Amino acid sequence: MTVKSANKKSWIKKALIAILFIVLLGGGAYWYIMNETFDDTASSESAYTVTAQELINVYQTNDSVANATYREQIITVQGRVTEVEAADTTVNIKFTDPVTGSYLIFDFQSQHVADAKVVQAGDSVAIKGSCSGNIYSQLRKAHMISFKRSVLVNKF
Amino acid sequence: MKKTVLVLSLIAFTSVLFAQTKKTTSATVAFDATTAIDALPKAENKTVIAEIDTKTGQIGFEAAVKNFTFTNPTIQAHFNEERWLSSDKFPAFTFMGKISDVTKYNFSKNGVYNVTVTGQLTIKDKTNNVTTPATIEVKNGTLVANASFTIVLADYGIQVGTAGKIAGEPKITVSAELK
Repeated sequence: MTVKSANKKSWIKKALIAILFIVLLGGGAYWYIMNETFDDTASSESAYTVTAQELINVYQTNDSVANATYREQIITVQGRVTEVEAADTTVNIKFTDPVTGSYLIFDFQSQHVADAKVVQAGDSVAIKGSCSGNIYSQLRKAHMISFKRSVLVNKF
Repeated sequence: MKKTVLVLSLIAFTSVLFAQTKKTTSATVAFDATTAIDALPKAENKTVIAEIDTKTGQIGFEAAVKNFTFTNPTIQAHFNEERWLSSDKFPAFTFMGKISDVTKYNFSKNGVYNVTVTGQLTIKDKTNNVTTPATIEVKNGTLVANASFTIVLADYGIQVGTAGKIAGEPKITVSAELK
């Protein structure tokens, strides 16, 4: 075997190893992304802790500013529940401003739905969830500020 | 005093029971754009506002785009980004429609009614007509409505590409318990 031929084989071997490495790395990244799930909100840190009425007031005053602060953040909200509403096989918990009808609504993470089902209107609670920001409802003429993947922190 | 409270409670109860407009803020809308090669693009939103006027047949739905929950964080992020739903700029889906021939149905009576709903669905500021069969079950003043239909994403300015990972005509399933 000539030196030139040996060098060529060594170069091909290195190239194959590099390609295999890239394929494995890409495959691993793809597998990770496809199998990734959201963390349990119970173990997530809250960026803010506010009362329900404070949060509704902020949205009613200036929803652009409120969204810039709270949207896509994990927030703990404290307040007195105004309604527990059936949502398919689960429940949502609401805090409503009695004057304007604007409200916060919390949809619960599947593993925490059972905790939400024991809450009743009038209970004072703290709930942590991922804030989806607001929409202004033309049907209800009020702001809806919604939360997803929520968890009941405690019931006072 | 007790009598007054009782009478007021009865009035409140009967006004809810026989109210012309039935409402909820917890309707569910599910979106399924899965394909044979990708089972991830599906989500649901359980905080949808819904109203049905049982006399006029007017129907309205409003959903916050950002409150659609996926199991996969990356797919959820893609769903909200500018190329897809652009939820920062267009935060709501709306459907405003009507039950066809509403006078044929007596929604004050318990039963299951098969109806046709026609209306306009707005996504990303683009509005298209939608017609779908739906069932409305009336049970002691509560309406349970269910419907299922497909939409063409291209009609709303959403291009899914050629990779075959996202269905161009996803299935939309709606369920609501209105009081």
